[in-house]
Amino acid sequence: MDTFINLFTNGIATGMAIFLLAVGLSIIFGLMGILNFAHGAFFLWGAYVGTWVFGRTQSFFLALASAILAGALLGVILERTTISRVFGNHLSQILLTMGLMLVLGELVKVVWGPNMLTSPPPGFLEGSWEFGGIVLIKYRLFTIVVGLVVALAVYILLTRTRLGIIVRAGVENPEMVQALGIDIRKVFTMVFALGAGLAALGGAIMGPLGGSISPTMGLDNQLLAFIVVVTGGLGSFVGSLVGALLVGLIGAAVSWFVPEAALAVNVLLMALVLLVKPTGLFGGGNI
Amino acid sequence: MKRRRFHILLLILLLLVAAVPLFTESRATINLLTHIFIIAIFAMSYDILLGYTGIISFGHALFFGSGAYTIGLLLKNLGRGLEIALLGLVMAMLLGLVVAFLIGTISLRVRDTYFAMMTLALGELFFIAAFKLRGLTGGEDGFSFRVPEMLQDRVVFYYLALLFLILVFYLLSLFISSPTGRVLQAIRENERRAQAIGYDVFRYKLFSTVVAGITASLAGALYGLQERFVSTSVLAVDKTLDALLMTIIGGSGTLYGAIVGSALVTIVHEWFSSLGSVHPIFERWLIIFGVVYIVVVLFFPGGLVRAFSSLGRRWRKDTRISTGVALSSEVVNVKEKESSC
Repeated sequence: MDTFINLFTNGIATGMAIFLLAVGLSIIFGLMGILNFAHGAFFLWGAYVGTWVFGRTQSFFLALASAILAGALLGVILERTTISRVFGNHLSQILLTMGLMLVLGELVKVVWGPNMLTSPPPGFLEGSWEFGGIVLIKYRLFTIVVGLVVALAVYILLTRTRLGIIVRAGVENPEMVQALGIDIRKVFTMVFALGAGLAALGGAIMGPLGGSISPTMGLDNQLLAFIVVVTGGLGSFVGSLVGALLVGLIGAAVSWFVPEAALAVNVLLMALVLLVKPTGLFGGGNI
Repeated sequence: MKRRRFHILLLILLLLVAAVPLFTESRATINLLTHIFIIAIFAMSYDILLGYTGIISFGHALFFGSGAYTIGLLLKNLGRGLEIALLGLVMAMLLGLVVAFLIGTISLRVRDTYFAMMTLALGELFFIAAFKLRGLTGGEDGFSFRVPEMLQDRVVFYYLALLFLILVFYLLSLFISSPTGRVLQAIRENERRAQAIGYDVFRYKLFSTVVAGITASLAGALYGLQERFVSTSVLAVDKTLDALLMTIIGGSGTLYGAIVGSALVTIVHEWFSSLGSVHPIFERWLIIFGVVYIVVVLFFPGGLVRAFSSLGRRWRKDTRISTGVALSSEVVNVKEKESSC
C-alpha cells in the first residue's frame, strides 16, 4: 500500500511539473501554430534562475517569482526578435526554435557551468507528514498543489476572461480575430510570455523535486512535454492536463516495476496514440 | 561554360585534398580530414531529407548510430578480418534500409510538426535501448574493437573515406537529378500540388527516407571504423543536431553545401577546442554556430554557400549587363531557389 501511495504521489507530482511545461507549449501551438522547440529552454532557465535565487536569498517564493519573470522576459524577447519573423512557415519555425534551444542551453553552461548542481527544497517543505502509516513527502504535495492552482488559474483565464475568449477564438481563426479589430500580434506575444513563464515555473519546481539540475534537463523534459501534448492533443488544455498526469503516473509505475522501460514506455504511448488518433486524445475539442 | 569552369575547379580542389597525405605527416590533420569526409556523408544524407524533400527529422542519429554499432559488434565478435569489415559495411547499409523503411512507414503518416516530434521520440528510443542493453552494447561506456590491419594505416583509411565521399556524392547527385529526385523536390515545394498531380507522396517520402537512412548508416559504419570505438554518443540527439547545423549553415538543398558545412563546423570546432585549454569560454563553441545557424535560418534560407554565390553574382552584375537574357534567367533561378527554402 505504501509503495502505491508513494508511486501515485510521485507520478502526480512529476505530471504536474510536466503539465506546467506542456500547457504553454500546447497553447502556443494551438494559437500561433508554432511548434516551439525552444520551450524546454525556458524550463531550463527557470530551473537555474530559481535555484540560483533561492541559494542567494533563501526565499523560495522569491525564487519562483524570479524564475517566472526570467522565463516570461526571455519569451517576449525571443518572440519579438526572431520567432515573429517566421510565422506561417513550419519548416523555418522548427529549425529556428531548435537553434534557440541550442543557444540558450549553451548559455546556461556559460553562466552556471556544465556540471550538475544540487537543488534543495526550502526548509519548510523538507521532510514528510505521516497519516496513519502513510508517508507523504511534503515537497511532492506542494508541487501537486501548485500544479492544481495553476491549472485552475489557466482554466479560468481561458474560459472566463476577455483574453481567454480572444485566445480561444484565435486558435479557431486568427484572421477573423484580427478582422474584428484585435491586435492579434499583441495577443501572440502575451500568450508566448505566459507559456514561457509557466515553463520556467515548471523548471523551478522540478529542481527540488529531483534534487539536482543539469543543462540537459531542458531537452529531456521537453521530449516529455511533446509526448504529453501529442498524447493529449495539441492546443487542448484538458489534453495537456490528462496527458501530463498519464505520462507522470505511467512513468512512475513503470520505473518502479520495469526500470529498463521507463522512458521507452512514454515514447511508445505517444506512438500508439498518434497512430490510432493523429490529433491526440482530446484534439479538435474546445479548450 | 560556367559549368565547365566549376568542374575544373572541383577537380583541382579534389586533387589538392587527395595530395594532402603526401605533404603532411601530421596524424591529427589526416584524422581531422577523414572525420570531415565521413561526417560530410552523414550531412549529405540529412540534406536528402531536409533540403530535397522538405521534411525535418530529429532522429537521424539512429541510422548513424546503428551503422556504427553494426560494424563495431561484428568486428568485436567475429574477428578483425577485412571480409568482416566489408560485411559490416554491407550489413550496416542493409540494416539502415530496413530500419528506415519501418520507421518511415510508421512516422510518415503524420505531418511535419508531428513527424519532427515522432522522429525525436524514436531516436530517443534507440538511444535508450543502446543505453540499457549493457550486455550487448556496453551501455554508456561503449566498447572498443580492432579493425583490419589494412585499415589501421591512417593514410589508407583517409583515401578510403575520400573515395566513399566522392562515390556517395556522385550517387546522391544522380539520385536528386533523377525523375524520382525531381518529384521529391516538387513535394518540398508544394506537397498538396504534388499530390494533386497524382504522385503518391507517401511512397516518395518513404523512398527518400530509405535513401537517407542507408547513406547515414554507411557514414556511421565508417565513423565506427575510424574511431574503433562505439558508445551511446553516436545515437545521441547531438549527432542529429550536428547534421542539422552543418546542412543549414552550408546550405540546404545543395549537396556540396553539406560538405562545406561539415568542413566548416568540424574545423572551427577543432580550433576552438584547442583554444579551450587557454580559456574555457572557447569550449562553448556551439553558441557561435547556434547564432550563425539562427541568422542563416532567418536571413539566408539558402545557406552560406548560396549567400556568397548570390553576392558574387550581384557584384558581377554590372559587367555582365550585356548578356541580359542569360542573366535574367539566372536571377529567376536564384529567386526560385530563395523562395523555395
